[in-house]
Amino acid sequence: MVESYLPVLILFVMVVAFAFANMALSELGGRKRKNVGKGEPYECGMEPEGNARLRLSIHFYLVAVLFILFDVESVFLVLWAVGARSFAETGVGVFVFAEIAAFVGLLALALAYVWRKGGLEWDR
Amino acid sequence: MSAWLHLFTLELAVVAIALLVLLWDAFAPAAGRAVGWTTALLLGGVFAASFFVDGRGTVPHGVFVRDEWVVFHERLFLAAGILGVLGSIDWLATRTPKRQAEYYALLLFSLAGMMLLAGARDWILLVTCFELMSMPLYVLCAYGKQDGPASEPKLAAEAGLKLFITGAASSGLTLFGLALVVGMTGTTHVGGIGANPAPLTIVGMLFVLAGFGFKVGAVPFHMWVPDTYQGAPTPFVAFLSVAPKAAGLATLAIVLLGGWSADSSVWLPVLLVLAGASMVVGNLFALPQTDARRLLGFSGVAQIGYALLALGAMSRGGLAMTLFFVATYVFTNLGVFFVLHAAAEEGGGHSLARIAGLSRRSPWLGGALLVFLLSLAGIPFVAGFWAKLFVFMEAWNAGLVGLVVLGVALAVIGLYYYLTVARSTYMADGDRTTPVPTGFALRAAILVCLIFVVGLGLWPRPLVEAADRAAAGIVSGR
Repeated sequence: MVESYLPVLILFVMVVAFAFANMALSELGGRKRKNVGKGEPYECGMEPEGNARLRLSIHFYLVAVLFILFDVESVFLVLWAVGARSFAETGVGVFVFAEIAAFVGLLALALAYVWRKGGLEWDR
Repeated sequence: MSAWLHLFTLELAVVAIALLVLLWDAFAPAAGRAVGWTTALLLGGVFAASFFVDGRGTVPHGVFVRDEWVVFHERLFLAAGILGVLGSIDWLATRTPKRQAEYYALLLFSLAGMMLLAGARDWILLVTCFELMSMPLYVLCAYGKQDGPASEPKLAAEAGLKLFITGAASSGLTLFGLALVVGMTGTTHVGGIGANPAPLTIVGMLFVLAGFGFKVGAVPFHMWVPDTYQGAPTPFVAFLSVAPKAAGLATLAIVLLGGWSADSSVWLPVLLVLAGASMVVGNLFALPQTDARRLLGFSGVAQIGYALLALGAMSRGGLAMTLFFVATYVFTNLGVFFVLHAAAEEGGGHSLARIAGLSRRSPWLGGALLVFLLSLAGIPFVAGFWAKLFVFMEAWNAGLVGLVVLGVALAVIGLYYYLTVARSTYMADGDRTTPVPTGFALRAAILVCLIFVVGLGLWPRPLVEAADRAAAGIVSGR
């Protein structure tokens, strides 16, 4: 039982050993030249300017969350739409429609709440 | 239309109240205490309805089962929710009068998650409910994010972040474990764990157990408990310290005693180690604490240890006593935190020195605190005494003699630090002598907790019998 996992263990050991061996080899055998460029966050591309810890407006997150909300809603709607005919044929069409309507209704309430609370106004 | 939608009546009602509160706030904002009282009264209505709405049954595919077990938990969570709302009304109305509705709505969403959790018998529903319960708690934890003491104004934000990170990590552990379990057994039903007792299934289940261990705050997954209790708003900590713990224990019972009872030789040692370690670490680390909320955090870890011990008895009686223990703990711990909240609001902090002289300033508050502390310590004849006694009896009958002896010894240590708190309120002199001002809602919440703690101490039989009926839903036979 447990023995059947031996190959997994061997693979795991080999993976870890490979990673450490490579790091050790480059540390031991590699040439070390230090210069200013290597200390930079990126060795190529634009030179970084200013502090990385700038504050972003919370609106970016709000919009992102709202987008995901309605993104997921559309995914569920597509699923329902694809199955709607077979639901109707098996006699649960009305029930499933009521369910999806309740789902959309809930999200509409959420949208109303966000709208009313000013979540959609950019400069607030 | 469907033969099972009525099983969710109470849960849907709670969600409906949450939506009502949110929309009320969005379209006709009301200041003052109106929102809080409405929420509390409507929840009280749902609680009363739970005695008349008598739907029992199973949802297709056995995904959700509503039986005595669920009914017991629904009432327990509703009671905790009502008291949690009552205890927060005055604090919210004075501190954040402009944004109260979000607090109640989030608390209600969390409550709905807990109520659904007790009946979930499918991993997908179980995990979804667990997240529905947990996520609002993260937000609520950081609710008073600028409201800490002057030296550390952002303590609540820190508490929220700690709870969020440990919570997210533990959810990750649970989901990773479940990926293994579902992959190995080929079913998402909780009862299917035993279908393929391969080592990988067991590894997966250990991940799941570790994830749940974080949520209930059992050692060694307890690090977030004292930090979060110290930083988050006290009325919310009162709720956080009881309802999610009860829900976590219910989940453990569903998974271990319900779904995985066949392989108990695998998980029982793990559970007992968690129980013993929680008792030892919780009780010993509570000793040197000088902040009342940190002290109660470690005390909460210790109490979870006792509850896990009763769970480890693996019998219907043991599970019933876990429920009884948790139910008494709900009322006791809510009461302790509410009294502390009242005392600390004016004292300007939760250190033991700040609540000194409480009993001279407000004899009723001091007396209530003493009763709650005695109940936590397990002194006759308050509710906590029966809880500890029954837990130890069931564990003894199950042959866990060593852990019972350990538990009794540690309960004596517990008595010492609980009485340290009581001593600072009774013996020490505070720098003020005027009565502590408390709002009506907070007083009502403390009074209800007091009535339950004393009442269950004098007459525990109804709750014991209800717990026994509930436990039959998970463990059949004796």
